[in-house]
Amino acid sequence: MLGVAGLTATAWPAAAQSGAQVTLMTYSGIFQEQYTAGVIEPFQAASGHRVQYFAPGTSAQMLGTLRAQKADPQVDVVIMDTTTAALACAEGLVEKITPAEMPVLNQIDAQARTAGGGCGPGVTFDHLVMIYDTKAINPAPTRFMDMANPALRGRVSVSAPPNIQGLVLTAILAHANGGDWRNLRNAIPGLKEIAANAQTFDPKPDGATMILNDQIAFATGWNARSQLYSLQSQGRIGVVLPQEGTAFQINTINIVAGSRNAAAARAFMAHALSAEAQKAFTERLFYGPTNTTAQISPEARARTAQSAEFNARVIPLDWVEMQRVRENWNQRWRREVITAQQ
Amino acid sequence: MIGWLLALPALGVMGLAFLWPLAMLFRISLNRTTETGAMEVAVTGESYTRLLGDEFTWELIGNTLGLSGTSAAIAVAMALPVALMIRAASPRWRGLLALLAIAPLLVSGTARLVGWMAILGDQGMINVVLRWVGLTDAPIRMINNWTGVRVGLMESLMPYAVLVLLAGLGRLDSRLEEAAATLGANRFRTFIRVTLPLAAPALLAAWLLTLVLGISAFITPRLMGGGRVFVLATEIYNLALESVDWPAAAAMAMLLLGGLILLMLLRGCVGWLQGKRA
Repeated sequence: MLGVAGLTATAWPAAAQSGAQVTLMTYSGIFQEQYTAGVIEPFQAASGHRVQYFAPGTSAQMLGTLRAQKADPQVDVVIMDTTTAALACAEGLVEKITPAEMPVLNQIDAQARTAGGGCGPGVTFDHLVMIYDTKAINPAPTRFMDMANPALRGRVSVSAPPNIQGLVLTAILAHANGGDWRNLRNAIPGLKEIAANAQTFDPKPDGATMILNDQIAFATGWNARSQLYSLQSQGRIGVVLPQEGTAFQINTINIVAGSRNAAAARAFMAHALSAEAQKAFTERLFYGPTNTTAQISPEARARTAQSAEFNARVIPLDWVEMQRVRENWNQRWRREVITAQQ
Repeated sequence: MIGWLLALPALGVMGLAFLWPLAMLFRISLNRTTETGAMEVAVTGESYTRLLGDEFTWELIGNTLGLSGTSAAIAVAMALPVALMIRAASPRWRGLLALLAIAPLLVSGTARLVGWMAILGDQGMINVVLRWVGLTDAPIRMINNWTGVRVGLMESLMPYAVLVLLAGLGRLDSRLEEAAATLGANRFRTFIRVTLPLAAPALLAAWLLTLVLGISAFITPRLMGGGRVFVLATEIYNLALESVDWPAAAAMAMLLLGGLILLMLLRGCVGWLQGKRA
């Protein structure tokens, strides 16, 4: 607690040193529970500011809220995924922040710094993993292509584009089969083999729940939530960072342009990016920290892609470029992959 | 004049809650999406030309009409015996039977679909029975595809079809059926030669109404389609909330709305013709 107070006291502008209310817009569910306990409550205790949590749903819905409130913003800080944040930045809905204004940016990983399209930096790293039913699959799988085993017909769930998981899986397989994540041609054969086993391309409510209900044995998922599901299911859900690799999905934190509580909002942002807050959140929900000075426990670090063992498997993905190829990939999936098995 | 004044509050609410958002939607459809996906304020028909020039859009229109047309037809065909049975029941039971026929509308659509998933899924009731009696070794795929969506949609449309048919059949003169019977026609022949032709306008009206409802259905294809069923409503969702291409999503919504208005006009014409014939 003292550490938080010490760091943030130096990071915050003088104008933020009084009680104010900051409205934070971000994800609901487990994220809200853990973020409130690990990041928001210590900030409130140390700063005297209050944080109002607003969770409209997905990043796209958050972007919609920002667009609708452009003339009169009701939100001060937003945490959303990197592709949507880049759009918000390009549309002038969120502020550009420099290290001179917020020194803690100097501690942020270079990839996370550039993630917001020049606006707010990455605040969490997450990555695509494969999850499986440890009760049904033995030995443990090691590759995404293990989902193509003909014995698994109807037992696999793959999220198809435009869902971001489908885009990332495509990029990973393209990279694994030729070194260039943009080369869709290299991914299509493998995707078709996996698709032949697919029960669904749109898991409801999500892959982990479908595994727990015995509907499927394999799915793709985001690491942080999958790790938590694994713990909560007492190991029934297995989580694998496959040999083909993975890619980061970065959530960025941004100050909303025209925020009424800009000073307090910046104070919160500085706190969220601080080593202490990042450590607390990673150890609760296994999102990778973007602050390079955060001292994460070895147990929690082993569940993120930042561990030395897994770091080399992260492929370099350019989300701006991904936005350009997205529609083409979407169509190719519909015409060539999803129709591989009806 | 007084009638118009009395209607003003309702018109005001309609204007605020329906027409204004619709106008906003149309305005968004005229904006431009840049190469990086950002929305640029503009007045252009680019989204419309892009959508109408894309053969996938036409495939979506075909999928949507095919799905809703067949589901509506099956729903009406299945609703007809129910409506006839309710019509033939004694007045004492008619109200209760009509209530039972539309009872599914009292349950949330999502809850009903979850029920269908439990029945039609790989581990569902039907597949378990089929395996138990030895008819199949592997599960027959009945959800996460077009079959599941058709079943779910047909079931959700049936109560509406029953309602429309009850209203239409209520106006049939039962003396005509009695006359046919008196002249020697058996019940099947009476149904084919008398009841069915007289019920045709009601059948058409029921089909048109359920067709319109089917075209705009979103939850059923979304939950039962497993990402394999592409129709206009699911594509609008994808464009708005996955691809974040609002101008294209708005343009597609406007196209869908235009199509629905045309169908409603058609339904109005059918109603007008029915009234004229009566």
